[in-house]
Amino acid sequence: MEQLLERILATVEKPSRYVGGEWNSISKKWDQAEVKMAFAFPDVYEVGMSHLGMQILYKVVNDRPDALMERVFAPWVDMEEKMRAAGLPLFSLESRRSLAEFDVVGFTLQYEMSFTNILNMLDMAGIPMRSSDRKGDNPLVIAGGPCGFNPEPLAPFIDAFVLGEGEEVINAVLDVYLAQKQQQCSRRDTLSALAGVEGIYVPVFYQFEYKQDGTVKEFKSDSLVPTVVKKRVVADVNDVPFPTRPIVPHTDVVHDRMMLEVMRGCTRGCRFCQAGTIYRPVREKDPENLLAQAEELVRSTGWDEISLTSLSSSDYSGISEVISGLVDRHSSERINVALPSLRADAFSVELAKEVQRVRRSSLTFAPEAGTQRLRDVINKGVTEENLMEAVTSAFKAGWSSVKLYFMIGLPSETESDLEGIVSLARRVLEAGRNISRSKGRLRVTVSASSFVPKSHTPFQWEPQDSLIELQEKQRFLKQRIKGKGLTFNWHEGQVSMLEADLARGNRDLAPVLERAWALGCRFDGWSECFDFSKWEKAFECFGIKPGDYALRRYSHEDVLPWDHLDAGVSKKYLALEHKRALDGVPTVDCRGGKCPGCGICPSLEINTQLVGGKSVEPVQDLL
Amino acid sequence: MNLYRICYKKVGPMRYISHLDLLRTMERGSRRARLPLAFTQGFNPHPRISFAAPLPVGVQGEDEYMDLELESPMQAPVLVERLNTCLPYGLEILEAREVKGTAPSLMGMVEQATYVAVTIRPADINEKSLISSIKAFMEQQEVIIDKKTKKGTKAKDIRPGIVKLSGDSKEDRLFIYMTLKTGSRENVRPEEVLRALVKGYLPLNVEDFRITRTGLYAAGERTLFAGF
Ligand code: SF4
Repeated sequence: MEQLLERILATVEKPSRYVGGEWNSISKKWDQAEVKMAFAFPDVYEVGMSHLGMQILYKVVNDRPDALMERVFAPWVDMEEKMRAAGLPLFSLESRRSLAEFDVVGFTLQYEMSFTNILNMLDMAGIPMRSSDRKGDNPLVIAGGPCGFNPEPLAPFIDAFVLGEGEEVINAVLDVYLAQKQQQCSRRDTLSALAGVEGIYVPVFYQFEYKQDGTVKEFKSDSLVPTVVKKRVVADVNDVPFPTRPIVPHTDVVHDRMMLEVMRGCTRGCRFCQAGTIYRPVREKDPENLLAQAEELVRSTGWDEISLTSLSSSDYSGISEVISGLVDRHSSERINVALPSLRADAFSVELAKEVQRVRRSSLTFAPEAGTQRLRDVINKGVTEENLMEAVTSAFKAGWSSVKLYFMIGLPSETESDLEGIVSLARRVLEAGRNISRSKGRLRVTVSASSFVPKSHTPFQWEPQDSLIELQEKQRFLKQRIKGKGLTFNWHEGQVSMLEADLARGNRDLAPVLERAWALGCRFDGWSECFDFSKWEKAFECFGIKPGDYALRRYSHEDVLPWDHLDAGVSKKYLALEHKRALDGVPTVDCRGGKCPGCGICPSLEINTQLVGGKSVEPVQDLL
Repeated sequence: MNLYRICYKKVGPMRYISHLDLLRTMERGSRRARLPLAFTQGFNPHPRISFAAPLPVGVQGEDEYMDLELESPMQAPVLVERLNTCLPYGLEILEAREVKGTAPSLMGMVEQATYVAVTIRPADINEKSLISSIKAFMEQQEVIIDKKTKKGTKAKDIRPGIVKLSGDSKEDRLFIYMTLKTGSRENVRPEEVLRALVKGYLPLNVEDFRITRTGLYAAGERTLFAGF
């Protein structure tokens, strides 16, 4: 294998993706680990290595004396072609063993458009693609991550899904596996033992019959498993094992810097945002803890930038304290601090000013919608004044480039909302012209992604705009957002439509996925690989069309394909939020102290944790 | 100014990392070793590290050079030891010497490099036939190759850049030794030579060769440690 591999590495693009050996990577002795797990990332190395979740699980598993974890990424198309031609199986970076030799293979589900890569990776390792075809010595194939909250299109391929935060569940999975192995249990017994673990969903024990419209007609679950699987979260984020010795890639990856996670969850409650629900409640880490972890990270990695990560880092209560602490301790070593997600207000720009002594990159804000009316619909608590204050202080501070993120196709959107995007962009540019000292370099970039309805959000019932509508809206904006200093970017509508199909789909989509893979679909999130005609063909084989799930409106009374998967949020609350959205009524942020009653805290029996031991009293039952 | 000239090895898995990746890895290794790095001035300071001649991706290097500047002085052997504990497997510092006064830049100094390329010997080639093929190859007045540039391909004569070429065979292996012009004035890459050689002279696959750069030299075959 080694020799064949070397020959191949000599001829592929970016061979360092496949060789491993990075600083802080861990190569344990194969035979000394009783349970061997592979972390499988269904995208290229550069994307996978930028994922904090992988670094966390890598630490948790490798900290166990009885276990090892190795990494595997999706080989880029050139590498796949050569590996298949040479008969090489998909292998792990650490010990270069086939994925099929591991006891447990865990995929992370970050993005619907990487689902075909999962099938491809199983195939490249010679692991039977369908769970029902796997035998005793095949690995146990598990998966978790945000898309795990509606994993139904993948249900036949994955033995068990993990709902919620993996660092606790993973130990339980490995323990169950070891116990079952000792007792030489059957595969079926192992699966039913797993189904007994909180936060684990074993799809084979749940049967569905669907109505014509894709909603659930009949649902049966095995008597021994819970009818509803509830997500699991860690109770105290300060206790959680944090990877202070993460793997440092050699090659330029997407996030090539230290990632210091300041909190989990977000309280803002934007109505389109799935992350906002599935990572709740908010749990903030202690500033002292963060500073100590940063110190260790600096020493162990050699990176020159610390990124304060979370869904909305400028909301973190200890943000000023942590930033000034980091600047005090590490600026003499020329270490930068980065804030990846900025709220659109003057406070956030103040923070950015503090950490970026040199204004080299642009600042990004996400007003999401062009008018106050529509921002109220989606509960984006940002006003035009907030945004103008933010960009004004950014231009004053020396930034000359600003990026604005919007979403098109949101429920109730009309032409005036699109006009709002145009006029907002022009106002920002105008402000830049009045203030900025480097007028020549002034640039306002508007990015418009398409709204994708997701499970466990108030918009889970809403249809997506049709492809024609989305394309018309893109054209509308493209014609108006142009000229000196203005740039307009948009996402391919077809990709968003398939993303919505998979995000709101059911098990009937599994054979479609399988067919799409067989027709050659891979890396569907990469424009150079995406081929819509193959997807159309795959859908057609089963008498449906792309968009059939995306464009459907579900009703509040329907049983949804993911109703057996509980993110903690009450469905009644989501329905209420949906109604409030259409009435344009905003909902308060529970960080302010008043709980609007999403139900997550009581359901998971964990309260919001803020810096300094503060919390929010949750409403027990609002409805 | 505390300038150190460092000789190192880039082998094993490290041969697959690009020149830019190498720079990053050396910088991070130096930070982990807590070396008192000197930085450039300006908006975007970066450590003062410079290299002799980039290695092509996939080629190992056993005698590579870089210059590293520190803010405060350090004993050369201490520097070697500290850095070696902080570099990934496949990168190893062999020697460091403090540059007293000034030294010409590595980039400007490099004139030529030696390489060895190894492959499995096929049954129909022996040492004798190998040597005569190489001889015939070297007798050509010019060796034209197609070189990829930003705008399509360009013909280039690499013959003047091939200083020496020889070969031998031990057990089931076949070795080709090259001395090639390297650097900013004239630069021939080892796989360009192999590609030309296998075309018509030696029926082998270029992909099957494992190439190692064994030495880097200044004019007159002097080592890069010479001159200060
Ligand atoms: S239950 Fe109340 S306090 Fe807890 S996350 Fe939901 S809204 Fe916030």
